Amino acid sequence: MAVLEATQTRALPRTMLGWVPRLAVMAGLAYLLLVRMPLDEKFAPIYADAAIYAIVGLSLNIVLGYTGQLSLGHNGFFGIGAFSAAYALTVREVPFALTFVIAGACGALFALVMGVVALRITGLYLALITLVFGITLENSLFEVSWLTNSGAGQPANRPEWLYSDTRFFYFCLAFLAVAVYLDFMLLRTKSGRALLALKENERVAEAFGINVTAFKLLAFVLSGTLAGVAGALFAYRIGIVTASGLGFNLALLFVLLTVVGGLGSRVGVMLGGLLFASLDYVLHETWAHHVNDFVFRWDSAPQFAVGFLGALGLLLTIVKYPGGIGQQIRPITRWLAGGPFTLHDDRDSGPAAVEGSSVRA
Amino acid sequence: MSVLEVRDLSIRFGGLQALSDLSLDVNEYEIVGLIGPNGAGKTTAFNCITGFYTPNSGTVKYRGQDVTKAPPHVKARMGFGRTFQNVGMVKSATALENLKTAQHAKAPYDVASGLFGFGKTWQGEREMTERADAILDLLGLQHIRDQRVGGQSYGTLKLLELGCALATDPDVLLLDEPTSGMGPEESDELGERLLLLRKEFALTMLVIEHHVPLVLRVCDHVYVLNFGRLLAEGTPAEVQQHPEVVAAYLGGEAPEALAATVEPEQDLAAEAEVEPAPEPRKAPRKAAARKAAPRKKAAAEKETS
Amino acid sequence: MSAAAGADLVALEVMAPAVTGLVQGSVYGLLGLGLVLLYKSNRIFNFAQAEFGGVAAFTWIFFDTGKGFLPDTPTPVAVVIGILMAVVVALITERLVVRPLFNAPKITVVVATAGVLLLLIAVEGFLYGGEAGSFPAIFSGDAINEGAIRVTNQGLAIIVALLVLAVASALFFSRSRYGTAILAVSQEATASRLVGISVERISALTWGLAGFLAGVAGILLAGSIGLAAPGSLTGLALVPAFTAAVFGGVTSMPGALLGGVVIGVIESLATANIPKEDLPGSGQVVLFVALLLVLLVRPSGLLGKET
Repeated sequence: MAVLEATQTRALPRTMLGWVPRLAVMAGLAYLLLVRMPLDEKFAPIYADAAIYAIVGLSLNIVLGYTGQLSLGHNGFFGIGAFSAAYALTVREVPFALTFVIAGACGALFALVMGVVALRITGLYLALITLVFGITLENSLFEVSWLTNSGAGQPANRPEWLYSDTRFFYFCLAFLAVAVYLDFMLLRTKSGRALLALKENERVAEAFGINVTAFKLLAFVLSGTLAGVAGALFAYRIGIVTASGLGFNLALLFVLLTVVGGLGSRVGVMLGGLLFASLDYVLHETWAHHVNDFVFRWDSAPQFAVGFLGALGLLLTIVKYPGGIGQQIRPITRWLAGGPFTLHDDRDSGPAAVEGSSVRA
Repeated sequence: MSVLEVRDLSIRFGGLQALSDLSLDVNEYEIVGLIGPNGAGKTTAFNCITGFYTPNSGTVKYRGQDVTKAPPHVKARMGFGRTFQNVGMVKSATALENLKTAQHAKAPYDVASGLFGFGKTWQGEREMTERADAILDLLGLQHIRDQRVGGQSYGTLKLLELGCALATDPDVLLLDEPTSGMGPEESDELGERLLLLRKEFALTMLVIEHHVPLVLRVCDHVYVLNFGRLLAEGTPAEVQQHPEVVAAYLGGEAPEALAATVEPEQDLAAEAEVEPAPEPRKAPRKAAARKAAPRKKAAAEKETS
Repeated sequence: MSAAAGADLVALEVMAPAVTGLVQGSVYGLLGLGLVLLYKSNRIFNFAQAEFGGVAAFTWIFFDTGKGFLPDTPTPVAVVIGILMAVVVALITERLVVRPLFNAPKITVVVATAGVLLLLIAVEGFLYGGEAGSFPAIFSGDAINEGAIRVTNQGLAIIVALLVLAVASALFFSRSRYGTAILAVSQEATASRLVGISVERISALTWGLAGFLAGVAGILLAGSIGLAAPGSLTGLALVPAFTAAVFGGVTSMPGALLGGVVIGVIESLATANIPKEDLPGSGQVVLFVALLLVLLVRPSGLLGKET
């Protein structure tokens, strides 16, 4: 109980002096992540993937974390974004910049439909139907011949100025920055408060003058737009869009990413993206390679290593660390934002946060 | 001036007729009490009035406008402020955040601007924070400003909930058992507070209550509900003596015993020279069922006076 | 067209798919039984259910073909070992994943079962390798082979297994003490404890049974298709099994049977009659629409009780 009643004073550090170490750390991290590492062309695609997954994580966070809607079919919006951008560019010769608008709009449209469904179907049933939606798309819409170039995959070629993988990473990063900004603004203004309120108690939200239906749909539309745009980025990253890899596996991956990253934690979800984008590489190319080989030596099938570790991570997170990475690093993120450095935390976390109740420790 | 006019409100849940032909009036600046044994349908009436339930029949009018079918958030925007029996707030947020959320309808910027930071977003946020702080000061709750609501004591929660209802900038306040969980002193304080709020914010109130002394002191008019039907109405004193009301509360002892503890001088409602003040009602009735015709006569009399 | 040609057309477009659908639907029904069982007892959707079956299938094949250091085992014994393996995996899941999450919201448990699914696929992968293995049918030969209509003995075995198990589980829930205990625990764990029911043992029993049902389904299904890779059983049958369970009534065991058959037939008819050029994956799309309709109109399904 003492932990629960801990005063959560938001007083910013009184003096400028308090900000110096914080800014220094932030500057150091920024340099590391944004300048030093991506300059290596070899890693740039991985970072691009990380940025893309981070955007998806943020989009899922809006619907799952802020609004409490169990929508697990985001791979669908992502895939639609990817296909529509590729199709628009290659078949319809739409200007590059416009393809992003189209991708976002398609994602938003499908998400809106999902949102309408979510008004009637809730809880586990919603989780089920959205997952089935995401899976069904892989075998139906994403196999339609005019969309997929008769199964050969729809090309999505970057314009010349983005051929460099490093440049492309910065391009993705720009989108991520916009996504983070939108997310930040969402939480700071009345829309975010409205979502958080309706997630916990719809009746109270209504009594406060919040149009719950409209805001639920808004959450889905925002989420779908972000996921669609991320899908477009992914299309350009890969260069060619096919249905495989956009179905069930991706759906699970996105859920994994969000849960392991930590629901409701912006930074956590982005780190989750980085983690899963780089896992494949890490397992095969670095020192972990040897561990990987040792564990998987029997009739070795290395592609399962990622799934194994991901699953293990998911289970550990759910059972032991429901807040995921986000919760674990919260002392740091809170400090960086100007708060005190303390290991106490009374926030709800994990998938449990979706239903507004605490998981017993 | 009629703020709330409820006529022949009925609602049925499966086999249970929760409300039968309930009619009541709340006039400007009145504090009207809604009392009755548990299960009488008081909260159900609230839910119908505020739009959480749709009644099977009957009308709800707000300042002459038919709002029977309006959803709750629309009513909130119109000026219906409401509290809930089980304390309705966002438990995982801080007191300040709750108060800002409650100002949702009155925020000076729209959703789109808010998303990008255009227009009056930041100014609006500042204003809402100031208003929230003002309410915290008014209710003496500054100490929990940045604490999670979920960990607070019940009494504090009820007070904060009242604050949130005020934050919605209401015209009429519907309070569902505001003193539940409070001891006698706290309840007295709340009574004082309600009177003060009426004066300061020019409010009209409809209050569900079990705490008889509060009802006696604060309410201008009282409706008694039992089994979904209107049992009696009148001034608190009249209703208290009403034999059917007494019987409904299980025998004649409880109200009389309580009444004996209340000193007559504390009948503030009669004494108060507060502005704004309600107009005295004409000939209150004891009948269980209302007839429309005599009402019109009374209203006509009011208008010509 | 002539009567004979007309009859042939009906056979091709309706009868044959319907029969295929019947067999396929029985697979869904078998898996659905396990899903319904776990929903009745735990109020969750177990995403790993089909892969429990996958584990059973791979274990059976391991022993049957004497893989690695394992001795060559006669098929019946290998099958039993396979089913036992599924039971063991289910029990481990219950102990390590479900029980610690006893008080957590249901969605957490559901996501955890998805994690178990991924884990099982990975384990199958590194134990068995990534390519599809071949799974001979246990019951070979054809039961019916008349023109366009063909039912293999394996298929018949599936239908029979479904019928037997569905009836057995319905009886189990209505007649036996354990069945009642499972229902009691699902609704009121604390009160059940107070009357002497061991919640832990009932939970283990439930999951063990689910594992058994999955094992039977998995082995029969793998043999019916002939080919399976890690995760393919889930990919093929999990979603239809869920649709079948919800359609038939997610709290009703006989519902799983009915739902399975209906879903299987619908899917089959759609796939056979809607050409791929018009709508690829039509079977799946139709199932999705069916699931959506059920959830919108009557979430408790055909035979389920309104909660």
